[in-house]
Amino acid sequence: MTLLAPIPLATIALVAAVLGGLTVVAYILKMRRRRFEVPFSTLWQRVLREKDATSLWKHLRRLLSLLLALFILALLLFAATEPRLGQADPDARSVVIILDTSASMKTRDEGKRTRMEVALERARELLDAMGGGDHAMLLRMDGQTTPLSRFVDDMPALRRLLRDVAPSDTPADLRRALTAAADALHGRHNPMIVLIGDGAYDEETLAAAVWDRPGDDRLDAIDLSGIDVRYLPVGKTAENVGIVAFNVRRYIANKMSYEVFIEIENFGNEIASRKLVLYSGDNPIDVRRLELAPGERLRQIYPDLSGGDDHRLRAELERDSATPGDAEVRDAFPLDDVAWALLPERKRQDVLLVTRDNLYLEGAMLVYDNVRVDKLTPDEYDREAKAGALPPYTAVVFDGHAPATLPPEPTHLMYFDAKGPAAPFRRVRSVRGPRVTEVDPDHPVTRWLVMNDVNFDEVDVLEVDRKRGEVVLARSVRDPIMAAKRDGGRKIVACGFSLAGTDLMMRVAFPLLLVNTLDWFASDDADLITTYRTGTRVLVPMDATAEVAEAEVRAPGGAASRAPLVDGRATFYAAEVGIHTVVARAGGQVLGEMMLAANLASPSESDIEPSSELNLGGRTLSAPEGFSVTRRQALWSYLVLAALALLAVEWLTYHRRVTV
Amino acid sequence: VAKRALKPTVGGPTASTRGRAPAKTGDDRSALFDEEFLKKLEHLALVARKTFTGALRAERRTKKVGAGIEFADHRKYAAGDDFRYLDWNVYGRLDRLLLRLFEEEEDLHIYILVDCSTSMRIGQPLKLHYAMQVAAALCYIGLANLDRVGIVPFSDRLHDRLAPARGKRRIFKVFEFLRSVEVGGVTNLAGCMDKFVHREKRRGLAVVISDFYDPRGFEAGINELRYNKFEPFVLQVYDEREASPTLHGDLTIVDCETGEAKEITVSRSLLEAYKAEHARYCAELDAFCTARAIPYFRTTTALPFDELVLRIFREGGFLR
Repeated sequence: MTLLAPIPLATIALVAAVLGGLTVVAYILKMRRRRFEVPFSTLWQRVLREKDATSLWKHLRRLLSLLLALFILALLLFAATEPRLGQADPDARSVVIILDTSASMKTRDEGKRTRMEVALERARELLDAMGGGDHAMLLRMDGQTTPLSRFVDDMPALRRLLRDVAPSDTPADLRRALTAAADALHGRHNPMIVLIGDGAYDEETLAAAVWDRPGDDRLDAIDLSGIDVRYLPVGKTAENVGIVAFNVRRYIANKMSYEVFIEIENFGNEIASRKLVLYSGDNPIDVRRLELAPGERLRQIYPDLSGGDDHRLRAELERDSATPGDAEVRDAFPLDDVAWALLPERKRQDVLLVTRDNLYLEGAMLVYDNVRVDKLTPDEYDREAKAGALPPYTAVVFDGHAPATLPPEPTHLMYFDAKGPAAPFRRVRSVRGPRVTEVDPDHPVTRWLVMNDVNFDEVDVLEVDRKRGEVVLARSVRDPIMAAKRDGGRKIVACGFSLAGTDLMMRVAFPLLLVNTLDWFASDDADLITTYRTGTRVLVPMDATAEVAEAEVRAPGGAASRAPLVDGRATFYAAEVGIHTVVARAGGQVLGEMMLAANLASPSESDIEPSSELNLGGRTLSAPEGFSVTRRQALWSYLVLAALALLAVEWLTYHRRVTV
Repeated sequence: VAKRALKPTVGGPTASTRGRAPAKTGDDRSALFDEEFLKKLEHLALVARKTFTGALRAERRTKKVGAGIEFADHRKYAAGDDFRYLDWNVYGRLDRLLLRLFEEEEDLHIYILVDCSTSMRIGQPLKLHYAMQVAAALCYIGLANLDRVGIVPFSDRLHDRLAPARGKRRIFKVFEFLRSVEVGGVTNLAGCMDKFVHREKRRGLAVVISDFYDPRGFEAGINELRYNKFEPFVLQVYDEREASPTLHGDLTIVDCETGEAKEITVSRSLLEAYKAEHARYCAELDAFCTARAIPYFRTTTALPFDELVLRIFREGGFLR
């Protein structure tokens, strides 16, 4: 018999002494008895007089009860030392089994089982081959690394864990998995890592592994010194064509049109014919037949697309069979045959110009094709505003006029040369003939705006209070001449110059400034919604959600999760291919909603050709040999069972008053 | 002689009360004699009269001779005797002056002695309440039969009594009296009976309602009544859980009257022994009464009091 002693024997001895002492004290101490009132104690006394003859047995059974309690305690403490029948195996190993559950494991080789099913079978065989002294730990590897168990020698329990393992939509992060496995094996006897997968890992990670740490001082090295790493390959098929990039963007000049970029690669060894279908929502808007040579990467650009009402675009690759329907449309790895992208939605705006016939201003509005423009002179505006006869507008542009009566929120406001007490920003002073020296390139209003060659006759310097959330958009040296702020539900942009005293209208910057401003007003300033990759942590900007701490994320499969919101950005882990919806709520009211597309977009995952050999850190990994079988019977469970049985006996005898 | 150990036919210890100590609950007697109780008494009085008509009138023939209407005997004439009772026929035939004697008829005196010791405050319902209800019922029947009925509460001493009187209307005084009876003290049957027989000059039926839990024994008390020409009637009341308690574990049992405490560990065998001891105690009382031709009834508080009273009358143990 051997004692594994996971808890030091000295500790067990101490616990035994303390608990044993407490048990004896508990028997010595006289328990406070329940009081029971009887009407006639004479009867009890008569009975007890007869029973007192057996008081010797009473003492004996008290002693018996104490011995029984001490014996139960001894059994439990002995079980804690993990005694085993048989000798300790000096060759027993600590094995971390890394199960590749990345997207490529969804590949269905030769139309039969998936690679994941084969990998799980290999894992079961491995567990069955382990000896009685071996300890194993299961690690799941996809975009994240998840331990499925701790080190145990209970192989049936580990087999049960394998039932729930399924492949994900994310690429494998081998670096993280190997590092986690090496950390788990630190200080353990005969450490071993067995990697079960298809070898679809990036070369950089494979090269980062080092087997002798003192000789390598790279910071990104994966330290595998002293660890025996083995590889169990799965997979057969290599033929796959996949979408590796898919993006869509609107034209800045014509936001009703957009262009699509798709990149497709043939990872197989044969020429592949595919049909690429582009959908807007569920409606196909373009079909192309493609033929790709082995290893060819094809870039497809779809310019000037404007069809489709849905802002969700989907690209699908289908086998280009002669008779559609009779053959499988998807290839062995269908996950990269579908990709998603989102088009920024356009919102129609009603804009009121308050100006005295400024042709430049009216003309610049024509650039923006999704806007309906009304025009009023300042006098007409004042009259109608006072009468409350103004229809609701998305935005009002005041040219040289700062009225006291403003349209109700949330109508947004843009001012040129606003003077007087009702001006949105207080005028500090005037500067003659200034130059714009600084434009905020990050603000949606001044994005892409070049103003350093714009001439001004005279500009007003605005007073901007940063503490109140006001921002400077453009400066002349240090003087703010353009500024923006939020006032309750409305946004305000103010320019400290008159359109009559500048050549800004002659520049490209002018229509761009108007378009940017109207887009910012409509929270529609995105021309490109980034398509994300699965297996990465996604950072989503959420407008006007500063006071909300959490957003709700609904995955394409319908699963809901929470994402923390920090500095107006929600962050979450994209694990599924498809459209994710992020919603920020406060008190049941939706403050912001954002959709984003996540695609596999991983050439290393789409390259499903299995590697029968894996070269890790310059060393070719081999499959594990058979494990030596040692018979060792763990006794702790029997000891605990015996202790429980004795407890049951004690309970039974106590209630029958055999023991005390 | 009627002796019956009455077993409960209705009620009995319920699952919810089983295993608990015999409850020493609040002694609230305000609702003890309500309208429902009075209705039951009426019913009992009617049934009793129907059953015992003729035999149990208020008229009781005593051993005294006097001014009755039923001939009893002759005796020699003595100077001063009333001439009206001379038997002239006998004088005509035998020439001897003999006086006709008649059996004198008188009211029966019924004394109901109710144990009010502390041990009677145990049970669910309280044995004391049960005893009072039975006492009230017997009172009412006695009063309805034109007997003189009195109530004598006792514990370690005789408490204030309700003097014997007749007439049904007295029943409300009986209720009032029972409601106000003082309770407490240890049981001293012999001492109380001794005082009772010396205080009550008129002999009669002495109904003793008690649990008979007297450490000094019950014999002396009952004998005291017998020796002083009272007709004892013994009615033992107990709670079902006194007879068969469902205790377990380590306990300190405390005598509710004497305060005497004893630590015990209740085992199944101990409980069995106790039950046997209780049964033996009851059997001793039963045997004592039987041997002396004393009517004896034993009942648990689970048996409705009216059923008990009817049973007593059917068995003919109360009035003969």
